[in-house]
Amino acid sequence: MIDQIEELKKEILSADLSTDEALENYRLEFLSRKGKVQTMFGQMGKVALDQRAATGKAMNEVKILAQQRFDQAQLQCDSGSATAFTAFDDITLPVQPAYTGSLHPLTMALNEIKEIFLRLGFDIADGPEVEDDFHNFTALNFPPDHPARDMQDTFFIRKSETGAEDDLVLRTHTSPVQIRLMKEGKPPFRSIMPGRVYRNEAVTAKSYFQFNQVEGLYVDEKVTMAELIETLVMFAKMMYGTQVKYRVRPSFFPFTEPSIEMDVWWGDEKNGKWLEILGAGMVDPNVLEQVGIDPEKYTGYAFGMGVDRIAMLRYGIDDIRVLYENDIRFLNQFKG
Amino acid sequence: MKISNNWLKDYLEFDLNADETADALTLLGLEVDDIETIGGNFDGFVVGEVLEVKSHPNADRLTVCSVNTGSETVQIVCGAKNVAAGQKVPVATVGSTLPVLMEDGSSLTIKKAKLRGEVSEGMICSESELGFSDDHEGIMVLNPDLKTGAPLKEALKLEHDTVFEIGLTPNRPDAACHIGVARDLGARIGKSIKNPYEQDEKDAKPLDKWINIEIKDTEKCHRYAAKIVEGVQVGDSPAWLQNRLRAIGLRPINNVVDATNYVMHEIGQPLHAFDYTNIAGKKIVVQSFDKVTEFTTLDDQKRKVPANTLFICDGEKPVAVAGVMGGLNSEVTESTKTILIESAYFEPSAIRKASKQLTLQTDSSYRFERGIDPNLARRAADRAAKLISELAGGTIADGCTDNHPVKTEPKKVTLRISRVNQILGTSLKQEEAADILKRLEFGVKVTGDDTLECLVPTFRPDVTREIDLIEEVGRVFDYNNIPKPTSAPFFTPAPIQSWEKLGNRVRDIAVGLSYKEITTNSLLAAKEENLFSDEKSQITTLNPVSQDATTLRSQLTAGFLKTARYNLNRNEKTIRFFESGHVYSKDQKGTWFKGIREHSMLLLGICGYKNIESWNSKPTSFSFFDLKSDVDAFFAQLGISELISTSATENQKLTYSINDTEVAVITSPDKGVRDALDMDEAAFTAEIDITLLHQMGFSSKELKFTPIPKFPAFEFDAAFVTDTGVRAGDMTSLINKHGGSLLQKVQVFDVYEGENLGKGKKSIAFRLTFLDRNKTLNIKDVEPVVQKIVQAFDTEFGAKLRS
Repeated sequence: MIDQIEELKKEILSADLSTDEALENYRLEFLSRKGKVQTMFGQMGKVALDQRAATGKAMNEVKILAQQRFDQAQLQCDSGSATAFTAFDDITLPVQPAYTGSLHPLTMALNEIKEIFLRLGFDIADGPEVEDDFHNFTALNFPPDHPARDMQDTFFIRKSETGAEDDLVLRTHTSPVQIRLMKEGKPPFRSIMPGRVYRNEAVTAKSYFQFNQVEGLYVDEKVTMAELIETLVMFAKMMYGTQVKYRVRPSFFPFTEPSIEMDVWWGDEKNGKWLEILGAGMVDPNVLEQVGIDPEKYTGYAFGMGVDRIAMLRYGIDDIRVLYENDIRFLNQFKG
Repeated sequence: MKISNNWLKDYLEFDLNADETADALTLLGLEVDDIETIGGNFDGFVVGEVLEVKSHPNADRLTVCSVNTGSETVQIVCGAKNVAAGQKVPVATVGSTLPVLMEDGSSLTIKKAKLRGEVSEGMICSESELGFSDDHEGIMVLNPDLKTGAPLKEALKLEHDTVFEIGLTPNRPDAACHIGVARDLGARIGKSIKNPYEQDEKDAKPLDKWINIEIKDTEKCHRYAAKIVEGVQVGDSPAWLQNRLRAIGLRPINNVVDATNYVMHEIGQPLHAFDYTNIAGKKIVVQSFDKVTEFTTLDDQKRKVPANTLFICDGEKPVAVAGVMGGLNSEVTESTKTILIESAYFEPSAIRKASKQLTLQTDSSYRFERGIDPNLARRAADRAAKLISELAGGTIADGCTDNHPVKTEPKKVTLRISRVNQILGTSLKQEEAADILKRLEFGVKVTGDDTLECLVPTFRPDVTREIDLIEEVGRVFDYNNIPKPTSAPFFTPAPIQSWEKLGNRVRDIAVGLSYKEITTNSLLAAKEENLFSDEKSQITTLNPVSQDATTLRSQLTAGFLKTARYNLNRNEKTIRFFESGHVYSKDQKGTWFKGIREHSMLLLGICGYKNIESWNSKPTSFSFFDLKSDVDAFFAQLGISELISTSATENQKLTYSINDTEVAVITSPDKGVRDALDMDEAAFTAEIDITLLHQMGFSSKELKFTPIPKFPAFEFDAAFVTDTGVRAGDMTSLINKHGGSLLQKVQVFDVYEGENLGKGKKSIAFRLTFLDRNKTLNIKDVEPVVQKIVQAFDTEFGAKLRS
């Protein structure tokens, strides 16, 4: 009996099902009331009792197979014959990719910087771009008529009659936010202060009259230069990779003492060069006194970096003007 | 500021190559921006004598010179105007290579050539071609005493040198000279310098017979010392001195002026040499005037010098703008026989002010305004007098008139070693700190286990406090040697500020709506800003960088339109931009300052084609409604749609308000604006006031889950016929007003105008969605509400239900 079932299975598998006609013949031959499958089941009476279970199982398998082949073939015949293949059915036709949104590379670089300092436990503070002389210069230990003021060419907005401290300027750095933060709160402070700043400089490939900075401030008891340098090193490694070669060197800013700048080595061992990435230092005691913090009890560090410069280094941009031109062919290169 | 390596070696023995020296200086805080190598081998360069100069037959600007090069007489075509027979000149003979590179980086080797038909065998060189200076105006004329045919290198004692361009920070006036730089370098490598100056001033008797000095303005002039050298022969300086000055970018003038410049670059004291015979009345008066004074400086510029500028005057007239530049009237010339050397201390801010007002910065003003050593005047004058008498002959008049009304004593500052280590994070010992300070020529006295009493040399006006001493210790110790901290303090960070979260959210939403971020200028041309705001409300800079950037923007639309135009001009078809930035205007209240409104805004702007022509789409332009749909989606994403009401304040201006406060506006800039900005295409912009949204407290919406309704919603469609002028927005508001608590949503699914409705009429079809969370609604449940709405439509708008 089992042999006959096997024979039937082969017959089912080899049957032609390619046309509607063949399909109908198949149905009549195998699946109809008098078809071969039903007939097979009729033979069960002749099977020995002890073999009935196994035989029944085999018969059922054949029945399912016969039905499956039929169902599949019917589906294929339907789809093939119901609609003709038209010119528009060609799924290889090219389409216009959907328009996508994107962030400007300056925002991307800024986000990267923010993310690093958020990981290092900083929060974020803010202040105005139109700032007074007090916050932008005087409180930051820039004496009036001091050559240090020449380091930052300033746009003036309003000359005050009540005194230079009330003059309004476009902020030349994000450092005035330090003063606002410290005047309004109590130590400890641990914040970064991103924002747009302005310098009265001609537009060239290397300079623009506006750019973006991120300032950082940490004031607490016993903050040291060693912690400052380690924080900057962690930043450099997270920003430029753990293999980055760096150095710090003395510099000068009126609001920090001692002051430093950090360089990273750019390019290969032989043809590379040191590039400055940020300025920093220990908050000058005069600044702490200006905001009513006891410099004997508290010390702190501050650092500042140019977002434009970091974006340019990061993405290999050699002309700052392209950042403000917003050519779509430029913007499209920054995904994510 | 340029520092010559050869010159440094006069004061300090050191064995570092150029790169090592540059690194050492940089790590001391004297950042080397550039290293320049001076002098080649000058093979084939000789002293030539110009025998004859003829005009070139074929070129007006060229001359044909006959030049004796010692071994032969050659013909050289020359383009310089100043060439003349009888001159001794530097000649590059055929086969020699110029020591400086051409602009394209290649080197030039002199060949025998024909120039416009005339043979030229060699080149008469200018200073710039020899690498001596940037001066390429004419050929260099040599001392006539030089031997014709002598190799130039020997004749001019040319030597190889390395020059460091140092970007000097304003706190280091002491390092604006070679001795100052050598002192720092010595401190780093542990060697002391050989200082050619007396360390202390000796008494000197005044030169009363020669000169009388009166300082009227002692606030601005603390000291004025004068020396006299008589019987000098003014002429060219010797080659060694000329080379020194050329190396650091100075032009040799004559032996007197060169000597004063040499001393300034050696020790940092600016000096001035007057022709004594032009000093009237044997008098020097240092004073300011309360009116503008016209004065011709020795660069032959007639200047209007502002009131209160400090002058050096003689018995009759001003002879120099103090600390900035001398006058033409008392200049040292070839006929000068007696020299008066001025060595003074002027107050830094006075000189800075004068220099800024005259827009004239000189090597002298650069040093005075940073603050020179107030106790150097006499010693520098002595040194200069000696040098002048060596170079130009003459006798130094015995004595020195030294008027010194304001004296500066060295400061005493106490340094705690514990504080050094606490600030730097080091564990330096008392001796280590003391040693560093001694090397920098600070007086150091141990006054306790933890303390040093330091006497600050007067050439370091920047050091006045303990923290300044800590910097000195730190920079010489080298910050790179500070050990890594072994532990970090715990700190609970503050939560991220709500405005920061809002700022990030609105950017994310804009990107999600498929807008590309742009960043445009905060400063616009006045004519651009005038398109959007009234001049009275504008904030302008008092000193704009150019006329294209004078006025702070009160809106982000101008920047968008300019950027859109830029991209359309480059064949982009679809513009979808956003910008997040500040806008500024005058108002009563002000944001941070009274009268100055500074808000953070978000712009969404679209322009050009929504769909470009393709096999599956027809080209369609963006419309107002495309942007409206995005702005609605923006507010939906912020989760505050239900608080917003909109109204059309003009045909192309839709205002979004929350509780009657305008938070956003969508407009389509009119043709006038577009023409002014050179835009042909229609554009649509939305500006959303993020500062206001933050002030209203929408920064961080609390997210709470609302269960998904179990029962289906019931939709009811109703079309009304109204006058065309009745706004859909007003109708929607009315529906919402009468819609009751079950009304969830109002949509317009059809708008129709047609003759069958009558002229000036339209049909507008609404789909109202009702939902009850407790049961399935049917028509009977909503009928009373619909009735109310139909009635209200009739009363308010005269609108009839269309059957």
